[in-house]
Amino acid sequence: MKSIIFLAVLLLNFLHANSLTTLLKEYEETSNSSLQTVDEKLGHVIVYSQKELKLMQHHKLSDVLKEIPLLNLNRNKFGSTSPSLAGTKTTVSGFFRLFINDHEVSSIYMQSFDNTWGELPLDFIDHIEFYYGESSFSLGNETGIYFIRVYTKSAVKENSTQINSSISNNNSYSQSVTHSEIFENGWSYLLFLNQNELNYENNYKNQELKDDMTSRYLYLDLNNDTTNINFGYADIKKDNYMGLSRDIVPDSGEINTQNYFLDVSKNFLADKSLKIGASYNIHKREYKEKNNQIWAIPKLEFGPTLGTTIPKEIEENMKFVKTAGYISKEFTQGNNKFLGAVHVKNKTKKLIHRKSVNVLNQETINGEFNNFNQETIYSLAVEDDYRINDQLLLLANAKFDKYDRDAYLDDSNEEMYRVGTIFTPFKNFGLKSFYTKTYLPPSFYNVDFASFRNKDIKTQQYKFFTTEAVITTEKSKFGIVYHNVKIDDFIYFTPIGFENIAHRIKTRGLMFDYEYNFDNGNKLDLNYFITRSSEFMTNSNNGGFIKFMGSYSKLEYFTSLIYRNKYDYKPSSSNNISVDASFNLNLGITYNYSKDFSISLKGENLLDDSTESLFADGSTNTNFSMRDFDRTITLAAKWVF
Amino acid sequence: MKHLILTLILLTFSYSQTYTFLVKKYDKEIELESKIIAKIAESSIKKEIVIFIPEMTDMEKNIYSKIFTIGKNCEESNFIFVKKNIEKNICQNKNKLYFTNNYKKLLSNKEYFGAFFWSKSRPNIVFIKNRLAQHNISLPSSYEQFVEDL
Repeated sequence: MKSIIFLAVLLLNFLHANSLTTLLKEYEETSNSSLQTVDEKLGHVIVYSQKELKLMQHHKLSDVLKEIPLLNLNRNKFGSTSPSLAGTKTTVSGFFRLFINDHEVSSIYMQSFDNTWGELPLDFIDHIEFYYGESSFSLGNETGIYFIRVYTKSAVKENSTQINSSISNNNSYSQSVTHSEIFENGWSYLLFLNQNELNYENNYKNQELKDDMTSRYLYLDLNNDTTNINFGYADIKKDNYMGLSRDIVPDSGEINTQNYFLDVSKNFLADKSLKIGASYNIHKREYKEKNNQIWAIPKLEFGPTLGTTIPKEIEENMKFVKTAGYISKEFTQGNNKFLGAVHVKNKTKKLIHRKSVNVLNQETINGEFNNFNQETIYSLAVEDDYRINDQLLLLANAKFDKYDRDAYLDDSNEEMYRVGTIFTPFKNFGLKSFYTKTYLPPSFYNVDFASFRNKDIKTQQYKFFTTEAVITTEKSKFGIVYHNVKIDDFIYFTPIGFENIAHRIKTRGLMFDYEYNFDNGNKLDLNYFITRSSEFMTNSNNGGFIKFMGSYSKLEYFTSLIYRNKYDYKPSSSNNISVDASFNLNLGITYNYSKDFSISLKGENLLDDSTESLFADGSTNTNFSMRDFDRTITLAAKWVF
Repeated sequence: MKHLILTLILLTFSYSQTYTFLVKKYDKEIELESKIIAKIAESSIKKEIVIFIPEMTDMEKNIYSKIFTIGKNCEESNFIFVKKNIEKNICQNKNKLYFTNNYKKLLSNKEYFGAFFWSKSRPNIVFIKNRLAQHNISLPSSYEQFVEDL
């Protein structure tokens, strides 16, 4: 009898501990699924969780962007990682918006990615959300169509020091330290320091095109339960790749950028429904290039004297400052949940130094290209989500923006509207739809590089309908997303500068995604998308991926194949370019020597079949395509203590 | 048999790895936290547990109330889980069990007998041996992996 009682006590003890250990494991896995910040009302969302970032060995933001459906990640003429919509090479100012936590880090000059953030190291990043949809309604920020929200790791959950180091076969390397600590008074901080050396070279007509980059990042996230203080610093020095050289290969050139920002936000009231935030951002950009002919559009005088105005040397040093403040309040009344936000943002552009030397060796100290140097945006955003029942949610948004600009571009008032529904009639089936009317204003960059034919760049107008259907089973999820977009006054970069396209542009597309979660935690993800456009193709318009990732004992592994289709640029013209399909095969394995130390090996683009970008050689009036990235093998180590 | 089938269905749903849309705020983490705290409280107190979490959010209130009786204040509760930075002496009556989510707080304040916190990206539980003895808490022996001397 005693032995039976003893065994029963032992069993009970085992079950107690086992269930607590199991719960801890499940708690950790739930946290690593990174769903805490998902906001379905912002649009159609893809989440890159901490678990997936780790298993897939995504070391840089560009590793993630390469996979994202409905876009292509190209290397632009300055060598920067540049996302563009499927089917087009044009990088639209303001289309993609990038946030780190609450702070928008998109370039003040271009309203889009610049060379600072595309290669952002992800050692201190917890998860990434990619939203297809106009999110500025809820966030009260500037307009955009696709929003990338990058969230830093939580100091409370890290509570450690982490050292990451990696080296690649092309002599690129990265080193970072992430330290986080919690204080007894509830404050915590996460400090990230990083240094990278990224080497890349290409060649054009047997001449070397250099795109080496040295970057340093510092990030500090200091917070408690109600207050968030974020400070970011990035310092990039890189070659200018093709730059503005008419014959594609500059004799020399470099781009140096520095970014600093401070972002403070605080939640008030017991339910944290009142939020006030302010931020200050400085962006410095220095550009130098030497070549026999530099196609620096703002410097050119199109006409008989064009030849003498083409510079052979340019130097430019600019400073941009962005100051922003906002207040937002949520309140609930019955089945209605309201959100109201007021946002004020001021952006300035200051020329510090600009010099050029023309073909006659005449040096000129240049002033501003135009007097569009400052813009203040006042925004009022309102949102109402009305829950008819547990299955159906109706959503309505409106946003009113007033642009105060100093001269050149007129002041303007803009309006945006959106209606949407989220319908989940069954636990395993859901429908989500939005109809949005929005706009994208011209950036400082658009205006500086405006065509001489019409320097009055107009705001782009967007109307788009999107709908998504999702079916789930216990272990699988199948989703379809459809989009139909109409764009008026699209801003397009022609050989003589930016112009508004006179006709309406139409695009539509479908995206399919299927994921299956195996019993042992492994995951398979299949994605395919097709798009159609009223314009001729300047980039892959179809693509997809297949990804498999998982772990066994001390090993973690992944493989992925990212596909972009072949396309013909101007197929009926004599200047036709046929670009082959890209099959980007990646493989990786991680060995966890202990819970605190791991070594990883990753092979990227193993078939050496990169996507390619289109460029125009002004010296010969021909078009050509050039690969975007190399085959790379990377060895990385992580130590946590 | 019906109960068994119902339980299996509920288990299937609760362990489902997929979702359609997260229309409501994601609360799985708080739900698991409440289950972990329930395990700890049940092992520490042999009578009915009345929990008090200072400055509790609405979401925490909804989730914890599914498995706990929630005390209106510290005085009428017997298990206090301190998650935020609050005044040290929140109760006049000291005959209660204090648990925290802050390891530094556990080390510096003898009122706490244990903590549930994150370290090196992993969730941890620590009980302080002599404080367990002070409160006459006898944990299952298999919990020894969570017990530390101080």
